[in-house]
Amino acid sequence: MGARMAVTGGRDGWTRAVPTALGVGIGVALLLLAAAVPGALDARQARGDARDDLRLGEPIPAAANTLLVAPVETEFRGQPVRGRILRPEGPQAPVPPGLAALPRAGEVVVSPALKKVLDSPDGHLFAPRLGGATVTGTIGAQGLAGPHELAFYRGTDSLSADRAVRLDAFGGGLPGEGLGPVLILLVVVIFVVLLLPIAVFLGTAVRFGGERRDRRLAALRLVGADTAMTRRIAAGEAAAGALLGVAVGAALFALGRQVVPLVSLWDISVYADDVRPAPALVAAIVLVVPTVAVLVGLIALRGVLIEPLGVTRRAGAPRRRLWWRLILPVAGLALLYPLIGGIRGGDRADYQIAAGVTLLLIGSVTLLPWLMDLTVRRMRGGPVGWQLATRRLQLDSATSARLVNGIAVAVAGTIALQMLFATVEDEATTRTGQDTTRAQAAVQLGPGVDAPAALDRLRTTPGVRHSFATLWAVATPDRPAQADPQPFIELRIGDCAALAEYARLDSCRDGDTFLVQNPSDAAPVDAFVPGTRLQIRDGSPQSAGARWRLPETVRTVPSRQGPFGDRNAVILATPGTVPVSAFGPLAVHFFATFDPADPDALEHLRNTGASIDPFASVTSMSATTETNRFTNIRRGLYIGATLTLLLIGASMLVGLLEQLRERRRLLAMLVAVGTRRATLAWSVFWQVAVPLVIGLTLAAASGIALGAVLLRMVTAPIAVNWSVVGLTTALAAAVVLLVVGLGLPALWRLLRADGLRTD
Amino acid sequence: MTGPLLVADDLHKSFGPTPALAGASFRIAAGEIVSIMGPSGSGKSTLLHCLAGIVAPDSGRVAYQDRDMVAMSDRERSALRRSQFGFVFQFGQLVPELTCLENVALPLRLERVRRREAERRARDWLDRLEVTDLAGKRPGEISGGQGQRVAMARALATAPRVIFADEPTGALDSLNGERVMRLLTGAARDTKAAVVLVTHEARVAAYADREVVVRDGRTRDLARAA
Repeated sequence: MGARMAVTGGRDGWTRAVPTALGVGIGVALLLLAAAVPGALDARQARGDARDDLRLGEPIPAAANTLLVAPVETEFRGQPVRGRILRPEGPQAPVPPGLAALPRAGEVVVSPALKKVLDSPDGHLFAPRLGGATVTGTIGAQGLAGPHELAFYRGTDSLSADRAVRLDAFGGGLPGEGLGPVLILLVVVIFVVLLLPIAVFLGTAVRFGGERRDRRLAALRLVGADTAMTRRIAAGEAAAGALLGVAVGAALFALGRQVVPLVSLWDISVYADDVRPAPALVAAIVLVVPTVAVLVGLIALRGVLIEPLGVTRRAGAPRRRLWWRLILPVAGLALLYPLIGGIRGGDRADYQIAAGVTLLLIGSVTLLPWLMDLTVRRMRGGPVGWQLATRRLQLDSATSARLVNGIAVAVAGTIALQMLFATVEDEATTRTGQDTTRAQAAVQLGPGVDAPAALDRLRTTPGVRHSFATLWAVATPDRPAQADPQPFIELRIGDCAALAEYARLDSCRDGDTFLVQNPSDAAPVDAFVPGTRLQIRDGSPQSAGARWRLPETVRTVPSRQGPFGDRNAVILATPGTVPVSAFGPLAVHFFATFDPADPDALEHLRNTGASIDPFASVTSMSATTETNRFTNIRRGLYIGATLTLLLIGASMLVGLLEQLRERRRLLAMLVAVGTRRATLAWSVFWQVAVPLVIGLTLAAASGIALGAVLLRMVTAPIAVNWSVVGLTTALAAAVVLLVVGLGLPALWRLLRADGLRTD
Repeated sequence: MTGPLLVADDLHKSFGPTPALAGASFRIAAGEIVSIMGPSGSGKSTLLHCLAGIVAPDSGRVAYQDRDMVAMSDRERSALRRSQFGFVFQFGQLVPELTCLENVALPLRLERVRRREAERRARDWLDRLEVTDLAGKRPGEISGGQGQRVAMARALATAPRVIFADEPTGALDSLNGERVMRLLTGAARDTKAAVVLVTHEARVAAYADREVVVRDGRTRDLARAA
């Protein structure tokens, strides 16, 4: 009967069932999405492993079933591009996943996303990197990490084995880079912080329309239902609402799954088929959500007496006890305490961390009603709006506590994570030492290119404003090896302006040579005194090398941080002192700054580099670099926190509207007796603001406590970033005020005195 | 008898296609008790709401002390209700989270009377209506009859010139109903407040000086001997 009452009963039934089903549905959809994340990443990883072409160990000989593969890693507008140049060495050469056949020389097969780029008006910014090859097909889904991946396979007949890897099959390479223990801690905490508010939201959603349900139950009491029957009916009604919600959630998830391929987060995209929650987790969600709904519904009934002639709320809510509310945070601390100082050493107590953090955060939720009760009980006096609000809170603080519970968890978790981030950031963010005022991009060309012609083309690339370049080689003493390893030093050949980028030169003219002493690396320089005979190689093991004597006139000069932020011992030579043509092919290092008016200058430079040498490395320079995983996690937190706050905001708005609707008769009566609207608006404001202030205070305290524990776990000093605490709480407060603002039109509508007409 | 305190002429009011008032008229003098009777759906509650400025009529005139209430702004009508009128309804009239004392003091506090003074006057009224012992209780803890007496105390606390009572005994048994009516009319006569009493019970209407019958949205005066 309860189930039937949840979905029948005309408009009244639906006004209760729809918000509950939608609320539960949104929560279930998010839970299913969270449950599908590991599977989606696994599927992505599996495709990555299947196409792996990195090989370590003994090289294999050329055969009918081997293939030469050379990686071409580039970027397009900040998005990485995975390129491969292929040359089959026999008819049975392996074909990479996603391709029907190997592209022939002059042909290229591209990913659908790259095809879209090439077909767009911006296609000309990438096409030159395909070496003039004709696009003959697209890579299938099984050969791509995700639908948005930019990738290509280009066929060639001129790839030599010294620039490629020989394969007889794809896949089976090294496993991918794992997450470090600190990053694991972050990921686990983020999941807990983002999922807990969803759970709180679910708890709120299943209580929507509770007062109307109580009145229906009273009507059933009048026709003979006893207390146990009303409880059973209430349980059935709650279960039906939750099951409807699960169905809505499944539908939302199925819809969302179709949208997934359209979305790319942090350069990661997945196919709809990848988003499959594990069956065990689906079963758990389908069972747990209705069970929790029934339990929440029955717990909510404890506070009311449902009698045949109406519903009575138990006067003066029972005093909330502290002892059991303390058990949760204390248990959380007890779980985390053994990990203090130990997590950095490589312990991967993921479940222990997750359980500890969850209990600590839930502890803040369970403490909130007690703290709210304690605080509002003492509130007296004040204007009428304040009095109405505080009396309402004194009578029933639990409803208001529930409204801010989700916000409190999100704020506490975010503060704790931000404290951890502030510390981990230093660990994961590396200062590169690169000075972007000197160079914004670097092009490194391997030996074998026509250096003067290449430099001319690079300098004249559209968007390049200033540039400098050196030829690069490695010098070793020209004598039988006396030490292992043989001492070596870099040799850079360039004009005075270019050489001045690597050393502090008092004076320089063509014909000068300089020896740069790096204080932290003195030993190699001792082997390179004036007059030393040197062997010059291009850096490759196969290089035969040329001989050159370090001039007697060489001057030792202090080092300067190079454009890459490095500071090395190096011989700097102007062209007049070295027989460059006798050295044979040398590598070229070219650095450029761009015209700020040309946003595509970097892409133009990449194209020029690729047209000179398909394996040219073009690097965008920046002052700092973060490990990709850290960047991804931080972005994940921002996006997740935003979604969570919006979800909680939506839940609060529904809860507020629900409260207002339940009280419309009373509100209309108050207006009838002449109550000012502003008085009632203030009472609504205080009714939200008071729990909010209490909730945020508790959340800040919990967050700081949790953050301190997490910092001790990674043996970092405890430091509170107050601006983060302030910003996070202010953001949460803004969400609540926005909710009140959005609820005001409904309040104005309900304040019409003619609402009494229903009486 | 003095001139009319509250006058309504030719009131029309429809809710959607359903006419509630179709040319109803009404007048009441200071200190007078007038009952409005009629069957369910006849328009008597709508007439009371129009007279009290809660609902604006579609056409017609309502004047309180010769001031046209229809022409007043919402803010002016609210102020009038707050200072000149008192209300007793059948259901849902006490604020559940406030104590009975705070409920009675509420209209005074809305009139910006200081809390201590408002509660002193509220306590006086609770005393006069024989419910002093309920001062600290909340509405959920008292009976229906007690609730109506608290509601009357609240209606009388601002010393209104007109009390509007809409089925004040509708949810009470006959004994409690009689008691409530005796107290209401007694207090009104003491304070010289006019009472507009909507009821469908002849027994309750008998407490009035005059009866007005509403049928199909029209009014008909029935004189009654004092």
